[in-house]
Amino acid sequence: MFHKFDLGGVMHELWLAPTVNGYYLRILDGWSGPVAFAEESTGRGSLTVAGTSEAVAFAVDGDVIHIHMRGRTRSLRYVDPLRALASVDGDDGHNVARAPMPGTVVALKVVPGDAVTAGTVLVVIESMKLETQIRASQDGIVERLHVKDGDSFDRDAILVTLSQGN
Amino acid sequence: MAAISFPFETVLIANRGEIAVRIIGSLRKLGLRAAIVYHEVDAATPAVALADVAFKISGRTPVSAYLDAEQIVTAARTVGAGALHPGYGFLSENAGFARAVAAAGIAFIGPSPEAIELMGDKIRARNFVEGNGFPVAPSAIEESDPPTFLARARSIGVPLLVKPSAGGGGKGMRIVRDLDLLEDAVAQARSEGQRYFGDGRLYIERYVEKPRHIEVQVLGDAFGNVVHLFERECSVQRRFQKIIEETPSPALSPQMRQRICETAAGIARAAGYRNAGTVEFIFGGGEFYFLEMNTRLQVEHPVTEMITGVDLVAEQIAIAANRPLSFRQPDISAQGHAIEARLYAESPERGFLPTSGKVLMLDYPHEQGVRVDSGIAQGQSITTAFDPMLAKVIVHAPTRDAAVAKAIRAVQKVVLLGCETNAAFLARVLGDAGFRSGEVHTGYLDENPTIASGIDGDPDEVTGLLAVAALVTRPVRDAADAVPALHAAIGDWRN
Repeated sequence: MFHKFDLGGVMHELWLAPTVNGYYLRILDGWSGPVAFAEESTGRGSLTVAGTSEAVAFAVDGDVIHIHMRGRTRSLRYVDPLRALASVDGDDGHNVARAPMPGTVVALKVVPGDAVTAGTVLVVIESMKLETQIRASQDGIVERLHVKDGDSFDRDAILVTLSQGN
Repeated sequence: MAAISFPFETVLIANRGEIAVRIIGSLRKLGLRAAIVYHEVDAATPAVALADVAFKISGRTPVSAYLDAEQIVTAARTVGAGALHPGYGFLSENAGFARAVAAAGIAFIGPSPEAIELMGDKIRARNFVEGNGFPVAPSAIEESDPPTFLARARSIGVPLLVKPSAGGGGKGMRIVRDLDLLEDAVAQARSEGQRYFGDGRLYIERYVEKPRHIEVQVLGDAFGNVVHLFERECSVQRRFQKIIEETPSPALSPQMRQRICETAAGIARAAGYRNAGTVEFIFGGGEFYFLEMNTRLQVEHPVTEMITGVDLVAEQIAIAANRPLSFRQPDISAQGHAIEARLYAESPERGFLPTSGKVLMLDYPHEQGVRVDSGIAQGQSITTAFDPMLAKVIVHAPTRDAAVAKAIRAVQKVVLLGCETNAAFLARVLGDAGFRSGEVHTGYLDENPTIASGIDGDPDEVTGLLAVAALVTRPVRDAADAVPALHAAIGDWRN
């Protein structure tokens, strides 16, 4: 079966199949050939691509795979086909305000139960020493605040959930 | 400076992160106890773990806790600290804090409150330096005598920089390279100053083309002895944020180095300066001008330590303990070349956006001539609550070329997984032809945006990354293992 990985916003599809002494990798938009990975200690190992080996360090965090090789670190996201569908489903009837970048909550401007219109400021965040206002993208009722004053959050964290109220 | 006695046993560190760890290192060496204040978000950091005693402080935001002089002085009293090291940033250049610490009977490891105040007021500092016969950028301030303003500006000579007095952030600034255009530039800058700041008063100074940032480390004791420990060049910066620093500066001739270093020591001497300080200069077109004096330990102090062998933090503590400097100017010599690269939690490739995440794996290079000053540990979460600097990689080698090569290897060996960093960008800057030739200035990175954006798409690298990702991702590996092995020779049979 085909698997999808997001590398820096570019989606790559690949499949992997076992061979007698390793695996065969086929990248749809790229190279195909024999590969092997020998894990030597937790998170460290040797990658062999077409007979050439190199040292690699990696860490898996949920769907994200962080890899250090050739003197630099990159992160890829495994795009699970089932999860992708589920999240679309889960957002039904709800509208969430997500953090556009990591930061800290400076002020919460609403409380659960508040009726808001599109453009209402929900949360004021601080990031890179700049304050940014997070606004409602549509009308609704504040259902839940996921953060409190002074909290730090990562990029894409859900800050506020609105119910559509109809 | 082993086996000296101190009038205090415990030193409180009013800081966090790598600099707190750095200070603890010197305290250990001197046989002193290290106390630290910390906000709860820093509870799991190495500085708190290493300190002999840690005192929790709080605030509306984590940063505000470290800016709360009252809580910090209370903490110092509670832990029985006889001295306080402010590190850099936070309260390190706050004269009121230095006074409050002294009033509590605690030695402030830094200059006098008067010196902090003098150098903290940019106009006063400039006038002080000029009044003592040291070079400042030639300038004309309109309000000192409005009718002669233009004539005074003309007598400076081109190029000139016309600035709104109330300005900031480059708004309303005009560069004049032809005196015939001065009046037009003044009219435009005045109208922009009025529009942006509601203030049309102007200030004109000599404009330095392709300016370089060169600073000099000084040390002064309580007995009037002042020495310099050579210069550092910090021209590789982005919007006043330094990224790479080195010493010696590749821009200075031996004669110019001596002049600039002696000027810095002279300014410190004139100010009766005590403790460690840094005099910053703008250098360009063969001339240098006083920019400002930082009355604290600098982030980039390790490059000076690498070439001189002097432990600047230990010297700071000895000075605060009222000991005379243990060396004179002729005793200080510089060996080789040192470079510092700052590891930041930010993404140069995405417009320098801040990054965050949990440190899943952390490994630094271990080799001779490589020093890593780090404030983070594996398992810790990096948040955007503080300045994004995580660590500093400092290298020392006999020559600049060898130091550059060593610095590239060292930053490439930094393995920090879980939070995106600028490590690859640091390697690109260090490997850039302009940097290698030593031809940089403070606008260099802005003029060469591809260094930050990076050039991606090495297909070999993409293949390697996807191969690792495929092989370590459970569902991919499981799906592959569920089918019988095939011979690679069969190739693209699924097509």
